[in-house]
Amino acid sequence: MFPLVSLVLKLYAARLWEGGNVNRRFIVISVLVFTGAACSSNDSSGSAATSSADAETHLTVFAASSLTAVFQDAIGPDFEAQHDGLTITFNFGASDSLAGQIQSEGTADVFASASGTWMDAVQDDPGVTDRSDFATNQLVIITPPDNPADIASIDDLATPGVQLVLAAEGVPVGDYAREALENAGILKEAEANVVSNEEDNASVVAKVTADEADAAIVYTSDVSSAAGNDVTAVEIPEDVNVLAIYPIAVVTGAPDATLAGEFLSYVLSDAGQASLEEYGFGTAS
Amino acid sequence: MHRRLPLPLVGLAAIGAIFVALPVVALVVRAPWGELGEALGGVGAGSAFRLSVVVSVAATVLSVVFGVPLAWVLARGSFPGRSVLRAVVVLPLVLPPVVGGLGLLFALGRSGVAGRWLHEALGIQLTFTTWGAIVAATFVSMPLVVIATEAGLRSIDPRYELAAATLGARPSRAMWRVVMPMLAPQVAAGAVLAWARALGEFGATITFAGNLAGRTQTLPLAVYQARQTDPGGAIFLSLILVVISIVVLVSMRHRLTGGR
Repeated sequence: MFPLVSLVLKLYAARLWEGGNVNRRFIVISVLVFTGAACSSNDSSGSAATSSADAETHLTVFAASSLTAVFQDAIGPDFEAQHDGLTITFNFGASDSLAGQIQSEGTADVFASASGTWMDAVQDDPGVTDRSDFATNQLVIITPPDNPADIASIDDLATPGVQLVLAAEGVPVGDYAREALENAGILKEAEANVVSNEEDNASVVAKVTADEADAAIVYTSDVSSAAGNDVTAVEIPEDVNVLAIYPIAVVTGAPDATLAGEFLSYVLSDAGQASLEEYGFGTAS
Repeated sequence: MHRRLPLPLVGLAAIGAIFVALPVVALVVRAPWGELGEALGGVGAGSAFRLSVVVSVAATVLSVVFGVPLAWVLARGSFPGRSVLRAVVVLPLVLPPVVGGLGLLFALGRSGVAGRWLHEALGIQLTFTTWGAIVAATFVSMPLVVIATEAGLRSIDPRYELAAATLGARPSRAMWRVVMPMLAPQVAAGAVLAWARALGEFGATITFAGNLAGRTQTLPLAVYQARQTDPGGAIFLSLILVVISIVVLVSMRHRLTGGR
């Protein structure tokens, strides 16, 4: 709804501009400034598009941004195909942001988090049911295809001058990455190389695919063939790697709890688990 | 003499005013005032504040240095494609900032169209640096200087310049001594709006320059990062932005509205 209002305002502003005197033009400028500002704050609220009018049912799923590809391209469409007239609305973002949105707005049916911490937060307020772990993930180093800083192992991230991008602290993948660097004994050196603390996993990957950063630590699912990112992967050895466990649950007060429960069952079913494996995740149990 | 305003007008105006003021009031009400000191320390308010001042002021200077000549060319020049150029120059105003940031990344990033050359030939990298944040802020704010200046120039009769020329002034002298003094208030108004836009810039900055405390993390980015882990700190950072903006807008109100 909002982008439409914003567009109408801008079109109106453009017409005023054409025939305007100086004072009128300042009104136009003000409108442009504020609609511009509104756009930027809109970026953060994710992709919560509204469903079309003829849809009979819809389900709102808040999911960690590392789940974007598998939920949007596989599990979502497959589940929709089993339910006539169902539209799933996904809101992808950092799990910490999603937890905050659920607590303040409470519009989610399902929450799929990249860490237990933020599911705990939602479990405390507003509460969840049917919580279970549905996937696991590990960490991997990614570099641009030509690996400009010659990263061959996690220890190379301590080399001064390497431009390293991590997710911010509090974002699950950011905390996991710091845990792995700590395990490797290079947390301090690596943190000195950090050039940007990104707000979610997808933004971290984007900085490397754009060839801006020399290296980043993300999930192994990000480099699975199905995710199809244009990066080189450098493995992190088992003994320093971190296992991320993804919980999923129906949010208390869900607009459609029955359907939400069915979605959970589907994610945990053989078909759902097969999709997750295809996208580079480990299975639950 | 006291003029009576139509009641529906006053009613709608009141709703409009409350709508605009309410979010600011809400920030003040929700702020955990007892924890002011530790909250500000925890979110690195000092470095974000300094960086915001540096970035917004530098972006305003760059916007004026390049935006005023651009407006001059648009207002006084006559060449094919002028209206296309004007549309292109104003585009950053209507573009979502994140799109601008992405465009900057592909243009001036270290493997971008022009950025590759900057990086290989001169060893300059803009991304993840304070200069990158300044570039992003300039990109979104320069159109405001261009628009205000061009509007000002169009309201100044070109015959002043002609008169100066007939009295023997070369074009550059006529520009500085005759037109500039009349134009200055418009340029100043444009610069204030540009500065305000640069201060609030978020999307292009985080996309192009990244987010690192002390280097590219301006106040809006610090608010965004703190909002989940430290909501109290995020509120105080927001209030810093509100206070700076109000102080500057109030002190510049004559320039902005031309009113009393």
